[in-house]
Amino acid sequence: MTRRSARRFFYIGTALSVLVFVALTIDSHRQFPTLTNEADLTPSVVAGKNVWHAKNCINCHTILGEGAYYAPDLTKIAQLRGDAYLREFLKDPSRFYSEERDGRLMPNPNLSDQEITDLIAFLTWVSRIDTQGWPPRPILVRGSAIPGANIGGAAPAAASDDPVALGQALFNAQTTGCAACHSIAPGVNLVGPTLAGIGARAEERIRAGDYGGKATDAAGYIRESIVDPNAYVLTGVTYSSGGRSLMPAHYNTLLTPEQIDQLVAYLMTLK
Amino acid sequence: MRYASQRVAYPYFAVALLLFGLQMVFGLLMAAKYLGPDPLIDVLPFDRAKAIHTNLLIVWLLVGFMGGAYWVVPEESRTELWSPRLAYFNLALFTAAGVVAVVGYLFGWTAGNKLLEQPLPIKLVIVVVMVLFALNLIMTIWRARRLTTTEGVLVAGLLLAAVLYLPALIEFDNYTVAAVYRWWTVHLWVEGVWEMIQAGLLAFLLIRLSGVDREVMEKWLYVIVGLTFISGVLGTAHHYYWLGVPGYWLPIGSFFSALEPLVFLGMAMYAYYAIRRSGLAHPNRLALHWTIGSTVFSALGAGVLGLAHTWAGVNKWTHGTHITSMHGHMAFFGAYVMIVLAMVTYALPGLTGSRDEDRENGVGLWAFWLQSGGMFGMTMAFAAAGMTQTYLERILGIGYLDTQAKLQVHFIMLVITGSIFVLGVALFLWDFFFLAGRPVTAASQARPPGAAAVRA
Repeated sequence: MTRRSARRFFYIGTALSVLVFVALTIDSHRQFPTLTNEADLTPSVVAGKNVWHAKNCINCHTILGEGAYYAPDLTKIAQLRGDAYLREFLKDPSRFYSEERDGRLMPNPNLSDQEITDLIAFLTWVSRIDTQGWPPRPILVRGSAIPGANIGGAAPAAASDDPVALGQALFNAQTTGCAACHSIAPGVNLVGPTLAGIGARAEERIRAGDYGGKATDAAGYIRESIVDPNAYVLTGVTYSSGGRSLMPAHYNTLLTPEQIDQLVAYLMTLK
Repeated sequence: MRYASQRVAYPYFAVALLLFGLQMVFGLLMAAKYLGPDPLIDVLPFDRAKAIHTNLLIVWLLVGFMGGAYWVVPEESRTELWSPRLAYFNLALFTAAGVVAVVGYLFGWTAGNKLLEQPLPIKLVIVVVMVLFALNLIMTIWRARRLTTTEGVLVAGLLLAAVLYLPALIEFDNYTVAAVYRWWTVHLWVEGVWEMIQAGLLAFLLIRLSGVDREVMEKWLYVIVGLTFISGVLGTAHHYYWLGVPGYWLPIGSFFSALEPLVFLGMAMYAYYAIRRSGLAHPNRLALHWTIGSTVFSALGAGVLGLAHTWAGVNKWTHGTHITSMHGHMAFFGAYVMIVLAMVTYALPGLTGSRDEDRENGVGLWAFWLQSGGMFGMTMAFAAAGMTQTYLERILGIGYLDTQAKLQVHFIMLVITGSIFVLGVALFLWDFFFLAGRPVTAASQARPPGAAAVRA
């Protein structure tokens, strides 16, 4: 290779690379509005982004997998935890975690109610970005998929059209996030109570004196708990606050009636 | 030292090394925080320590690059520097901005954007510093009417670094778009123009240390820089994969970033060729160690370990785990830390008016081997932590906090190997500040030849 051809390799190679790169960047801008749901980019989301930056969140957490590795990834946290839980958590993280038990604790970010609302709006917007299927399996904060919780193994499309199998797939799917908070192993209480034996326990619960809901049988109780978590509230720091459940209340709209039937069918099998 | 104004390199190197030392304090603190519980959680939480650790790295490397350029450019263009006074002013301004930023981070004054945490006023000062720095170099070269390929690559790298800092000044409402442009600065720095700077300094050092033919070296320099941009520009996409970008970036990023090791292979072959041709006869053995070390560690850290998780199908599982820390630490150390230390070691006898042969080597060699060994150990600790984390957290679905508890043994290894590394850094600083002698001053340079070290 002569010096001249080496120089030509450098100039032509660089110019072509830059050209392709810029062209694809322009095309990406054409697609960003769809991929990131720019229509939902409300002032509250933008304000939440500013809170995210001002509090230096990214130097402990990752979001979209970018940041520091000292605290869990928050890309899908709004889907996994829901509005009510995050609001309580952000007010005082030390109610939910302790250095002794968990090894790490988030310092209180001292956010106003408005800042919390905005931050959750931002995280909710982030959780809906089309990330090309990342993360391939839900990234949990605490607890474990083993034993029994069986997270991530099943994709939303179940192997058969049996309602129980479809319900199990839904339970483990990232979109519902059920398995991120509820274990199906006996005695393993994550952020939400374990659902091991719920099929049998539901029966006892509606017969108990303090039950004020409308369900008349076990399946009805489970259905009611999914679509209206406030009908019967369990006490526990991570379960409820001020008599209101911290579970997301959006399953009525997130899932079709048919899907709720499938979930109930699956949960009824846990006895 | 052939030109009196090369002297300005000394305070640049001194500031760079002091900030390097400070960076180590925060690095060790962070490693300890991984072991938890953290007694400093209310005083200096992890996020502030991390912002300081990474920002000090960027600042001291840039100061080191600038010092290196002030040494190389007069020698290559065969002239005095256009304005030494401007160079000193620039250093003072940059150092002040850096110190204000670090103190600001301690008190929570931050833009909170990974690696670009500098608040806007600081960012603007950095732009001013870079413009003035560029002006000084361009005027020097312009006045001499002489530009070699080696210094051309070095100076072009520094100028492009200034230009590529500009996207960091723009704010976007859409987080995805902001993240994409953040990589224009961060990726195109460390895997683009900074590699130009490394290649330029490497070519200069190899030519000086081995006496190998300049024509041949500069020809291959074009090939190396060409490969850098062909792999690096489209390779930017390996940071885009999961940000909310169109799917075509996945195969493009995978393919082109997989070519990046060729650049480092090229540099290693470059060094090997130079040694084959001319041996290791140069009396500045320390500078030889750091120069060769830089090519080996960057080939391993930036080349091989980068390749390990750059493919989209692999990155899907490893993204955002300690696999990234593994790659990042060794890559930065090999490509940039070692090349700056090579430049410092090479220039130090001239700057202090001693002869290469008379430089005490023992402490310097210990500094080299402790840093190399310590960094190798740290990389292995991060690798073990990263692989375990990927398997337990991402594949089995064990919670983040439970997985971290299982990584404790690797974090203990990190603290131990990190301490070895820091010991090496301390020895390097001790050698520079206490053993190498006082810097040559204008007065000592004015003495008749023979008294001061005027080396050809």
